[in-house]
Amino acid sequence: MKIRQIQQVLIALLVVSLLAACGGDATPTSAPADSGGSAEPTSSSGQAAPSGEPIPIGVAVAQTSNVSLFGQEQVTGAKIAEQYFNDNGGVNGRPIKLIFQDTAGDEAGAINAFQTLINQDKVVAIVGPTLSQQAFSADPIAVQNKVPVVGPSNTAGGIPQIGEYVSRVSAPVSAVAPNAIRYALDQNPDIKKVAVLYAQNDAFSKSETVVFQRAVTDTYKLELAPVQTFQTTDTDFTTQATAVLNEKPDLVIISGLATDGGNLVKQLRELGYTGPIIGGNGFNTTNIFPVCQRFCDGIILAQAYSYQQESEINQAFRKAYKDAQGKEPPQFSAQAFAGVQVIVEALRKLGDLSSMALEQTREQLNQQILAGTYETPLGQLSFTPEGDINQSTFYVAVIKMNDSGTDGTFEFVK
Amino acid sequence: MSDFFNTYGSLIVFMVLNALLALSLYLPLMAGQLSLASPGFFALGGYIAAIMSTKVFHVEAGAYPLGYVLIEMLLAALASGVLALIVGIPSLRLRGIYLALATIAFIEIVRVLSLTLEITGGAVGIFGIPQPFGTPLGYLWLALPLLIVAALAIWRLERVRVGRAFNAIRADELAAGAMGINTTYHKVLAFTLGAILAGIVGVVYAHVLNTWNARQGTFEAGVAYLTYVLIGGSRTVVGPIVGGLALTALPEVLRSLGGESLPTWLNNFLNSGQSIIYGTLIVLSTTFFPQGLITPRLLRFWRRTRASNDQ
Amino acid sequence: MRGGALVAPPDRQAGVDFSQILQNILNGLSIGSVYAIFALGYTLVFSILGIINFAHGAVFTLGAYFTYALTGQRFGFNGLLSNTALPVALPFIVAMLGGATLAGLVSVLVERVAFRPLRQRNADRLLSVVSSLGVAVILVNLIQYLVGAESYSYPSNPFGLSKPAINFGSVERPIPVRSIQIVIFAVALVILLLLTLAINRTMLGKALQAVAEDLTTARLLGINTKRLIVLTFFVSGFLAGLAGTLVGASQSITGPYFGITFGLKGLGVIVLGGLGNVSGAVLGGFVIGLAEAFVPPQFVQYKEAVAFAILFLILLIRPQGLLGRTQVQKV
Repeated sequence: MKIRQIQQVLIALLVVSLLAACGGDATPTSAPADSGGSAEPTSSSGQAAPSGEPIPIGVAVAQTSNVSLFGQEQVTGAKIAEQYFNDNGGVNGRPIKLIFQDTAGDEAGAINAFQTLINQDKVVAIVGPTLSQQAFSADPIAVQNKVPVVGPSNTAGGIPQIGEYVSRVSAPVSAVAPNAIRYALDQNPDIKKVAVLYAQNDAFSKSETVVFQRAVTDTYKLELAPVQTFQTTDTDFTTQATAVLNEKPDLVIISGLATDGGNLVKQLRELGYTGPIIGGNGFNTTNIFPVCQRFCDGIILAQAYSYQQESEINQAFRKAYKDAQGKEPPQFSAQAFAGVQVIVEALRKLGDLSSMALEQTREQLNQQILAGTYETPLGQLSFTPEGDINQSTFYVAVIKMNDSGTDGTFEFVK
Repeated sequence: MSDFFNTYGSLIVFMVLNALLALSLYLPLMAGQLSLASPGFFALGGYIAAIMSTKVFHVEAGAYPLGYVLIEMLLAALASGVLALIVGIPSLRLRGIYLALATIAFIEIVRVLSLTLEITGGAVGIFGIPQPFGTPLGYLWLALPLLIVAALAIWRLERVRVGRAFNAIRADELAAGAMGINTTYHKVLAFTLGAILAGIVGVVYAHVLNTWNARQGTFEAGVAYLTYVLIGGSRTVVGPIVGGLALTALPEVLRSLGGESLPTWLNNFLNSGQSIIYGTLIVLSTTFFPQGLITPRLLRFWRRTRASNDQ
Repeated sequence: MRGGALVAPPDRQAGVDFSQILQNILNGLSIGSVYAIFALGYTLVFSILGIINFAHGAVFTLGAYFTYALTGQRFGFNGLLSNTALPVALPFIVAMLGGATLAGLVSVLVERVAFRPLRQRNADRLLSVVSSLGVAVILVNLIQYLVGAESYSYPSNPFGLSKPAINFGSVERPIPVRSIQIVIFAVALVILLLLTLAINRTMLGKALQAVAEDLTTARLLGINTKRLIVLTFFVSGFLAGLAGTLVGASQSITGPYFGITFGLKGLGVIVLGGLGNVSGAVLGGFVIGLAEAFVPPQFVQYKEAVAFAILFLILLIRPQGLLGRTQVQKV
């Protein structure tokens, strides 16, 4: 019977796919760093084109699923870093090669990607994953295998404490957020009552709002209206907006992501709120402009990254990003760049890698990462002994929209 | 070879666990009931494991005792069973689509609660779940016996009176009722057994993942388990198992296929088009293989050919 | 001076705050009208085929994207259609109708691919439900693959409204409602009126009712059931696409998963109203919208669960829904 034949062919395909999954280690991308003699240490340094066996660095971010919106920005940032550092001499003459493994949006995907990078691709270190929840899941794998991980966007509390091989270049919210309130108070000293809203299903917003609320009540002794929550998947914020308006606040603080946050701002403004609005770090992306359009104008936000930062490396990064994507670089790209940069600069200090076993390289690399100080597009940064970031500068910006409300800029104020 | 097991250890464990989840959805389906509730009980089991292991049992150093994991599994089974009765009895009195709708409502309510309650850790969830095994592959010591026991139990169930009642309800619920089968009782039984299995798997999953949060056990996850069952086969216990194993491995296969030799568009499609392929598989299989790929007839056919070859 | 803000105004201490109630009612009606339009399409398909079309939410999403494309705006960099735009730029209203029409055609295609083959094989209705889930998965991910996961917005103020909000209260105690939501409310009423007229006053509507009653008998009576089913799917998709565009105009298109929440909540709406009951869908939409609006601010985190709690309760108490008749045997 025909159907039965097709059926058997399909089953055979399923079984083959099972076997293929198992036999998959023949991928051509794996390039072990410890393959000894093949890598010739070049004596030339500086700007000469790097040669020799490339050093594999893993990037495990969400290239698919709905988290890919952030993951794709990270891929772009990391690729610019690969190009930039290879153009600038690589690691003591040897080029680096980024190996991307998609984590998708879930925890299991992050674990699989980490395992593949560590055991099959034999990377010296990993930049990733995208979400804090994924980091809680996959980072312990790296710690077990003694592979350094640099988190590009994991901001939740407890990440560096997962283990000694975990560090991050994304500032936890506690450091960033209060600056914006200070700026708002400087502009308008009459502020008495503050309304706070946050996205309860977003790990970042949830921890950020705690910092904001503490700053409002403890640091600045302002009155806090009943806190409103929403979800990042919400689209209608009428209930929250009218509840806020009822309280007649002098300042509104929103912790959310670009789409939901932008929508909330838009609906709040349309319903008649005219006072100042502070956005959390989730607002720090040009993706917010099309959402709230002209109503974005005037939002005050705290930034961990400002594209207007004047350092040479940031301007080089900004130019490369603009050439590729036609817009200003977002924070996620800059952080991914910084993540790769930290690893590259630490590798440079290790000296000749060809004489080291992979385990040794990874261990010493981790020590170097934690010890160093780096001039990144984010500004100067270093690490605490636990691996948390010490970022020297944060920025406060105000969104300025053009007249038609189609495009805007982050005007750096502090 | 050790590289192979290091690389794919977690994947193999996920394959086995997803096969179990497929079975948890297959159980109500045996009695003809479409339930998408497995993710909800799965989430519940995971939270029980996460809370017990991080807040109740304090293990200072070394491996987390397996005995504790078994206690968690027991608790999860109990909690899921009771909850399944509460959800199942009202919605299973009714025939047709109502169970599917009630289960969708159930998983959404579970999701909102786990985001909101203090004890579930909100959006961040619970992290630092202790590990009973040194390597991911060690979880096979839990997952594989679980799969074998579950598969044998279901295989046996299909051949006793209760299983025949399930079958009769699936074939024609009205007729089954007329024959004197207590349809509500049997439907609730099938649903509850599935829920208990999903809760137990949640416990193991939480340990494997190191962390648990409200992103586990969503509506989308339910659709994925359903795909395992439908494509593998919804008429025999072998089907969901093969479906769960193969479809969990499939993304990794597609990903490794996407090498440098393929054209970029195809590569992109293999990378980000997995879900499109899944969806297509669902539509094709419901139309052309409504019983899934592995059907009882096919198993009989294989057995016969093997028997005739032996002679 | 803002110093007085610390003292609560007297009417807020008096317990019942009428302007707050009015505000809640208006908020509930405005979100409820979106649920209603969305659920109408769901329930139309159910009424004739007895099947829940899970792809409905995805068609809703597609409609919003079609309108976006037809207004000639550019797509982002993350999808296959990176930075492309249609050469035409239609006025918003025309684009909206065009987008809804395209969504209707997609819905017809969904019927052709996911429902008709199964119906011809006389397959279990549950399989059709599953098959429509498969189509939903394909559509959502196709959108993501083609245009990325980012959000898109229509040109600001697409309906050319003169004010962003209308105040139903006084100056000192405003009860604002966004103008766009009033537009949506009006559209919902017009659609309901047209649909009721079409079903009850035209031959086509009568035929539809006959098919809803019993497909086989209707066919024996000489009704071209195949054509009617196609038409129903078109109308259902058209309404979904229209609703998608309206919500997009009110709140922007928040990505490929845009319609999923509506798709799930919509289940609550149609069960509450009575599966397959057109006026029930509208009533259900408004009831759930109002129930959500009346969630007190301190419990707003549970708002997302309201529709599902209602769905569960109604299954418990009155499974045939508010306006449904007792016999509902379809799957």
